[in-house]
Amino acid sequence: MAELLDFFQLALVKATPLIFAALAGVICERSGILNIALEGGLTVGAFTGAAVSFETGNPLLGLIAGMLAGALLCGLLGVAATRFGVDQIVAGIGLNMLAAGATAFAVVVLFGAPGATPEVHALGSAGETALIAVAVVAALALQLGFDRTPWGLRLRACGENPQAVLSAGLDPRRIRVLATLAGGAIAGLGGVFLSLGELDLYSDGMTAGRGFIALAAVIFGRWTPLGAAGAALAFGALSALQFVLQRSGVPSELMQALPYLAALAALTGIVGKARAPAADGVSL
Amino acid sequence: MSRRNAAIFAAVLLAIAAGAMALAGANPLAGFAALLRGALGGERQLSETLVQTTALLFPSLAVAFAFRAGLFNIGAEGQLIVGGLFAGLAGAALVAPGWIAIPVILLAGAAGGAIWGGIAGALRARFGGNEVIATLMLNIVAALLANYLVVGPFHAPAATGPETAELPVSSWLPVLIPGTRLTISLLLALALAGALSFMFARTVFGYALQAAGEAPQAAARAGIDLRRTALVALTLSGAIAGFGGATLVAGVLHRFNVALSPGYGFIAIAVALVGGLDPLWIVLAAFAFGILQSGSLTMQALAHVPKDVVGFVEGLAILGLSARRIANPREESA
Repeated sequence: MAELLDFFQLALVKATPLIFAALAGVICERSGILNIALEGGLTVGAFTGAAVSFETGNPLLGLIAGMLAGALLCGLLGVAATRFGVDQIVAGIGLNMLAAGATAFAVVVLFGAPGATPEVHALGSAGETALIAVAVVAALALQLGFDRTPWGLRLRACGENPQAVLSAGLDPRRIRVLATLAGGAIAGLGGVFLSLGELDLYSDGMTAGRGFIALAAVIFGRWTPLGAAGAALAFGALSALQFVLQRSGVPSELMQALPYLAALAALTGIVGKARAPAADGVSL
Repeated sequence: MSRRNAAIFAAVLLAIAAGAMALAGANPLAGFAALLRGALGGERQLSETLVQTTALLFPSLAVAFAFRAGLFNIGAEGQLIVGGLFAGLAGAALVAPGWIAIPVILLAGAAGGAIWGGIAGALRARFGGNEVIATLMLNIVAALLANYLVVGPFHAPAATGPETAELPVSSWLPVLIPGTRLTISLLLALALAGALSFMFARTVFGYALQAAGEAPQAAARAGIDLRRTALVALTLSGAIAGFGGATLVAGVLHRFNVALSPGYGFIAIAVALVGGLDPLWIVLAAFAFGILQSGSLTMQALAHVPKDVVGFVEGLAILGLSARRIANPREESA
């Protein structure tokens, strides 16, 4: 029984950054921005959180800074996509490379040695638990917001038919930029959870492709907040299962590959037709 | 991008790189000098830069091939890895004279890449599945597959690292300049660039691919099968990247190692865009990025500029070049 509880706890810890990143992905994609820079958002969030906590000694300031960094990076994608008509995919790849390069560079410049920051003041287990709760509440709140508020309606309309939004007298570009800012902040929070919640430092590559698992979760969850969070939770449980099955002979690579294979399966529509927002990835 | 804008863009990138170097407490001029010296300062340096150029050229041509057909192959990295894996497994198992073994190894690599690209192509052709997501996911699955096979069933008994057994010396690609790692793979890459350039400019197949990319609806009305084009283009694009992976195995490492690629497949996107998706310009762009790759370690050692500044500037370059339209990923054939 105690082992089962341990497993659920580990699953929740592993799922939380995925849930944040997946929610960020849902917000962006439903507004019409296919944000593959979620990985970069996690990276800058995790790094900035740790760096600011190191400099100020206050992990809460680190949390806020990490969210701002994520918002800045993804907001850049929003602005580029709406004001300069760039290709969202190419820009997203560029932002991921930029985030990885800039953080690795900054680690060397600020802390003198490559690879990782020193240990910093982290949020502690109470903070970690609080962030897990925030992730769950955020998924519920976003689902309600999407379904029941005029904001949610506008955001969704923006991803399906931006022309209609324009005819209704609203600016779809503005909505998309706001969506990437909000999504980026949430992705940044996912990064902060990694560096200041689960651990107490930042190391290069610590996001380990979670931004891409989150993209898979968005598809698997059919572009809804609760669906994506549910998929992220399942992927987190898979990740926790790896630790349990470590000595059983099941290759850990197979377990790690399952989220990605699930996303590929979702693309075939075998698991029920998954349809992306009509204007997802289409720049204005 | 006009010539004037391109010059402004390059100047801005250089200025940002210089700023980053200054931030790291280094003299930017010393940084650039060390970079160039590390990349071009002698026969050994230049040959190593050409090794990097070759490594970048194959995936860059692969990316451009798909982009010209209006398809986002961002999976060159995974296709390169699977190609290298196939080549490494074939090469370690095959005992044959070089003139048989080398072509077999290179073709095994192309086949591996073709399978990996073909999966994305089939998903797109059969189900209309977004190839961006498919290739992105396949990249990670490729890395995990390679890791599993090379740490597990195919791990070389004598090897310390995650790698396959070494290829017999007779299966190594012939070296161009004795004492360096530069092999005939450079000539193969240049020949491929020439062939692709000819294909796009002069052949019906090349024209059909580009028509499908630039005006899918018109192409469909003219009788071009868009689904088939997607499958063929992504398969061939994967084959090119996989072939490149095989040249790294047979020419540089002489075995497959999970660290085969430091992200060549991603940098290739920048190379392809800088080269304007034109195979001949891509050769020049690959050389420029080859300089960055091979000079960055010298820059770090001599001028104390962290080598990661290169990745940062490459990211900025891609971001700046994303203003070029590739294709509308949702212009579906139906």
